Amino acid sequence: MNHLSSETFDENAKAALADVQLRGALRNATLLFGKRRLEAARSLSNWEDLRTHARAIKDEVLLHLDRYLETFVANAEKRGTVVHWATDAAEANAIISKLTRDRGARTIVKSKSMTTEETHLNTALEAAGMQVVETDLGEYIIQLAHETPSHIIAPAIHKTKGQIAELFTSTLGMPPTDDIAKLTSTARATLRDRFAAADVGISGVNFGIAETGTIVIVENEGNIRLTTSLPRIHIAVMGIEKIIPRFADLDVFLKLLPRSGTGQSLTTYQSFITGTKRNADDEGPGELHIVIMDNGRSRMLAHPVTRQSLACIRCGACLNACPVYQQVGGHAYGSVYPGPIGAVITPQLLGLEKTAQLPYASSLCGACREVCPVKIDIPRLLLHLRGEIIAHKKNGSAAERLAFKMWARVMMSPALYNMGSMAGRLIQKVMPLSKAWTSGRDLRPIEQQSFRELWKTKLSHE
Amino acid sequence: MSSRETILASIRSHLAASPPDDQPECGSLFTVTEKVPLVDLFKQSLEAVDGHCVVVQNEQQIVEQIARILGDRPRRIAISDAPALKRLVDGEVAPNAHDIFAFDVGISTAQAAIAETGTLVLDSARERHRFVSLVPPVHIAIVDAQSIFQTLGEALAFIHQNNDISPAVTFITGPSRTADIELTLAIGVHGPQELYVIINEGPPLAR
Repeated sequence: MNHLSSETFDENAKAALADVQLRGALRNATLLFGKRRLEAARSLSNWEDLRTHARAIKDEVLLHLDRYLETFVANAEKRGTVVHWATDAAEANAIISKLTRDRGARTIVKSKSMTTEETHLNTALEAAGMQVVETDLGEYIIQLAHETPSHIIAPAIHKTKGQIAELFTSTLGMPPTDDIAKLTSTARATLRDRFAAADVGISGVNFGIAETGTIVIVENEGNIRLTTSLPRIHIAVMGIEKIIPRFADLDVFLKLLPRSGTGQSLTTYQSFITGTKRNADDEGPGELHIVIMDNGRSRMLAHPVTRQSLACIRCGACLNACPVYQQVGGHAYGSVYPGPIGAVITPQLLGLEKTAQLPYASSLCGACREVCPVKIDIPRLLLHLRGEIIAHKKNGSAAERLAFKMWARVMMSPALYNMGSMAGRLIQKVMPLSKAWTSGRDLRPIEQQSFRELWKTKLSHE
Repeated sequence: MSSRETILASIRSHLAASPPDDQPECGSLFTVTEKVPLVDLFKQSLEAVDGHCVVVQNEQQIVEQIARILGDRPRRIAISDAPALKRLVDGEVAPNAHDIFAFDVGISTAQAAIAETGTLVLDSARERHRFVSLVPPVHIAIVDAQSIFQTLGEALAFIHQNNDISPAVTFITGPSRTADIELTLAIGVHGPQELYVIINEGPPLAR
């Protein structure tokens, strides 16, 4: 299940559907996260107002992103933070490689960061001779297994404890066990040595506060605190869209993010980091670097429909709610961003030529839109991207265009519609329709009487 | 053009090309918060996330509770540089990033707490809390009852006063946890495995 490409979503999905163990794990995870999210949302009386407010804050930032970024940078620099700008992934990786090399770093500890997964930072650092250790338990497991994350919040949900035990036995020399507490404490002990030895800690960023130049990072394990407290250098990698205007806005986002992600009122730890320490003998790194990366994001600003992609706070709720993700899991999307949000972000980051199947990896049921804490209209985005695919298809299927033209004509005329539904009933009796549709599911028979006929003969008299 | 200029120019040109947007509507965040006894609520919230909580009336009881938590086992104790702790506890003050790994217990105070979530608020400008509250397997924190806020919003306003904020503020809600293996909860993966909060209802600890 490794190194899958977004170009082959359909094939990836078929392979995933054949994996019984994967589907069981996905069912458990998505149902549990979904249930907890619902309970957590219901625990607040003003959940809908919070969502609306959060979206309004994000819209405000995105419409003035240049100004808010400059304010953030000015305030961060005032507090001793060194800010770097990276137009794309290669530049971000080059900046970080140079920073670490110039400081003679050997060992780097990393906390979970989608943005550095997006840039394949580990590969770049390893090529530069560094030893890079992922420290989030799930990320550590998949790094040992040379795999990629399958879920934003729980990167290793596709693996069983038995598989993880085998992995720890072969890579860490742990005696065989299926005790999850023992597996966890083995990882803890192994990673403590890495933390103690690390020269540099690399983290992501959940929120960058323009007003204060603060970065906020949330977690449950404590590995982010270790990564950002113990090494002498901290490098944080942040997409341009992570900015929020005011410190007080955190009241909204810190209520929405953990409840949407894991159903917690707050995650175990929030770290609010503002510049470097004030005295040399204070605790914490002597250097703080923030790498602000565009990598295809700014062009999403050009249209209100695509712009909302940048409001995403990476909670993972849409993955859990999605009937497609629930069946195929994260790897099938062939990108660091899976699920409904991945199906809209990946094509915009990588271009539609390589990702044309992703906007179709959805039934457009709208469950993602219902759970999104910042009210991103993902179905509308998917349709927008599908529209772009069709518009750019120079030699698209003439038959498909004709079929939709006829369909539109029929739907506009009650008489034609009636004839069509009668014809459909007749045709369904004599031939199986649409093989692609029915190979994986049953086609329901069309009712013998349409609603219009029922209305005429019976219902209107009741 | 520098990367900074390239990115800002790209943001400006794409926004300028954008068709007009619907005016964003703003939800009302006004809620009536019922006042509740904060110590009870804090205790209940913390216990819900596997933390331990005791309430004491004076410094003598703080000392007794710490002794009870430590038990008979010989433990190496690291304390933050809060003056009250130096007075109350026999431990090494604020060990560095290398030495801290050798300690069994870390003791700190907390500058504030949030009752609704069972959260401790620790501020680096007021106390060297970062290592003692994170690396040892057991963390004991002492917080004055009068420093407990009811809501997250009040605590955020507390750490951001006069548009200033300390270099490192940490919110702690229960012991370290993970569910990364088969979604099964495991306590104490990287941070402390046990968290004890002692709420002081007596005279506030002098900082």
